[in-house]
Amino acid sequence: MQHLSATSAPGVLLDLSGVVILLLAFACLGSKLFNRYVAYYGAQSVVLSFAAGVAAYAFHSPELWALAVLTLAIKGIGIPVAARRLLIRRLDLKRDAALSTGLSTSLIAGGGLTAFAYLVTRPQLLPHGLVAAAVVPLSTAVILLGALAMVVRRHTVAQLIGWLIVENGVFLGAITLVATFPFIVEAGIFLDIVAGVMIMLVFVSGLTRQLASASAAELKELQG
Amino acid sequence: MTILAYLLIAGPLAGTVAAACGARARPAGWAGAVGAGVSLVAAIWLVIAQLHKAPLRGLDGFLYVDSLSCFFLLTVAAVTLLAAVGSVGYLTAEQEAGRLSAFQVRLYFVFFGLFAALMLASLETGNLGLLFVLIEASTLASAALVGLEGKPGSLEAAWKYVIISSLGVTIALAGTLFLFYSASGLHLAANLRLTWPDLFAHAHALAPASLRLGFLLAVVGYGTKVGLAPMHTWLPDAHAEAPSPASAMLSAALLNTGMYAIIRFLAIANVGLGGEFPRVVLLVFGFLSVVIGVLFMVRRRGMNFKRLFAYSSVEHMGIIAVALGFGGVLGLYGALLHTLNHAIAKAVLFLTSGDIAIRYKTRESGGVRGLIAAVPVTGAALLLGTFAVLGSPPFGLFLSELTIVRAGFAGASPVLPLLLLGLLAVAFIAFARTASGMVTGEPLTVSDGQATGRASPYRGRLTRLTAVAPVAAGLAVLLVLGLWIPGILNTVIMHSTAVL
Repeated sequence: MQHLSATSAPGVLLDLSGVVILLLAFACLGSKLFNRYVAYYGAQSVVLSFAAGVAAYAFHSPELWALAVLTLAIKGIGIPVAARRLLIRRLDLKRDAALSTGLSTSLIAGGGLTAFAYLVTRPQLLPHGLVAAAVVPLSTAVILLGALAMVVRRHTVAQLIGWLIVENGVFLGAITLVATFPFIVEAGIFLDIVAGVMIMLVFVSGLTRQLASASAAELKELQG
Repeated sequence: MTILAYLLIAGPLAGTVAAACGARARPAGWAGAVGAGVSLVAAIWLVIAQLHKAPLRGLDGFLYVDSLSCFFLLTVAAVTLLAAVGSVGYLTAEQEAGRLSAFQVRLYFVFFGLFAALMLASLETGNLGLLFVLIEASTLASAALVGLEGKPGSLEAAWKYVIISSLGVTIALAGTLFLFYSASGLHLAANLRLTWPDLFAHAHALAPASLRLGFLLAVVGYGTKVGLAPMHTWLPDAHAEAPSPASAMLSAALLNTGMYAIIRFLAIANVGLGGEFPRVVLLVFGFLSVVIGVLFMVRRRGMNFKRLFAYSSVEHMGIIAVALGFGGVLGLYGALLHTLNHAIAKAVLFLTSGDIAIRYKTRESGGVRGLIAAVPVTGAALLLGTFAVLGSPPFGLFLSELTIVRAGFAGASPVLPLLLLGLLAVAFIAFARTASGMVTGEPLTVSDGQATGRASPYRGRLTRLTAVAPVAAGLAVLLVLGLWIPGILNTVIMHSTAVL
């Protein structure tokens, strides 16, 4: 069994999870507090692990079960806790002042990107009636929103969260597009994310210590 | 043969293990250099052994080595050896001058070996998902090298590098996903839908809409690693701030690994979409990169010379993309030959730049003058390396750029190759102006209040040799490649172009 129809119960649940994940990406885009960024990202990851669980149930795939557990443990709990402890509390981050556009502008841009995602992926790519047809545009939109957050926000911590949202978007697409990648590949992707976050944590805290506030807007020694 | 493939990956890890066990700069460096030597021997052996054989396959398609992989393995292994030998002298000199702590040196060798091994591994896998995993992992390993010095500038460069590259490679993963989906009508086992040879064999049956999106995302994503404009913004900073042997690895090995990934996608897209769409995509990105690289090289005098070399890398990666876009046997042959030539030439230039930076304690070209009189060997190396990288005869890049331009003239319109020639001429003037300013003129004297570069920063003859030997060896290879292409290399490149 490789394809899920959009009207089956797991299909509906997956679709719904995709929508919630997109809304949480919007929430993150519309927020100004570092605490909230991390909270929304954590919530998004928990929903993602629920979606992976649904897919695992529907496809009867033990590998997907393992991924659901990994997602919950690492992205839902591990990374948010680490970010809160090592970055937000230690560096005493509260309000994000380094936005290059106003919140309403970025939300409107986000809406535009979501429409664009539907425009690009929906009609031509995917046969109708499959849950993938509904979820892939959502996941594309989440990818674009994460990238938008990275562009609009100039604070390094905010950019890190933006990258993690992009990653979640790709993952959402991966679990609903037919079966799944081979487990080794999925596990490797996880390992990369963890290692990436650790390396980025080191750089962010190093930069912050040296620049007092690690706003990428102030990172302009290197130009041209 | 399979053992050989594993040995090739494991070689550079010798330095990692030595440094992790607490070896000092010199022994760790030598361990890494010997390991890299083993890798290069294994790569040459693999090339010869696989010459007329079917590609090596194993582990459910996770291991896949065909002639294209062999060619890139050879390039990356050669560069790794040059950079590993260069690292010994550079790192010991930096440590003795007190600019790096013992811990930083150990960190360097740990990540250097890891970085090289991950790149070699990514060239040996046939699974496009694993390819993503390994390329992203190599980004992370090299980010540690870029930020090694721990100064605000290098941390900033490392941050920029890791965040832009990670985003780029994640986009490439999305591209891989769409490629995966385009094969869902084929009823292959899930694993095989990501395996390059199987995808390539069924490329004509892939769903075109999904394949087109996948290819575009892969070019943008892996293009970020290659440094194709406009995704190149991390490149000059990272190259300028990394320790010089690490810059050599970035410019001569990492960028090529990204290009290898693009070529894999290109081969599938060429069959699945017909040649037109992929060609236009590569020509657009390629020309944009050449233009941007050249513009920034022209921009100002006295700029950081490592930054200058970095923009030259953007330019050359653009040339390779243009060559792939020109297509035909000639274009592909030129692209691959240029990859090898550029890799060796850039390794030579960055290693030389490391030597200059240690001697003069500056990375600004304005602070270096009269190099040929003060330090004749380094001055000559910079001069020859400059002419080699700018494509003057008798060096290899002349031959490969000529091949690429000829491929362009074989196409429909002479406008594009003429444009390329014009841009190359501008690049020549801009680059040579800065480099000749460093090489010629009155050498700096003590009264100028700057380091004069005369005092040798290396202690011991063997260490001094590690600064000179890789540069001399690289220049010799470039000279040979300009005059004569060995038969085996020719065969490997011809077989690789047949893949495309």
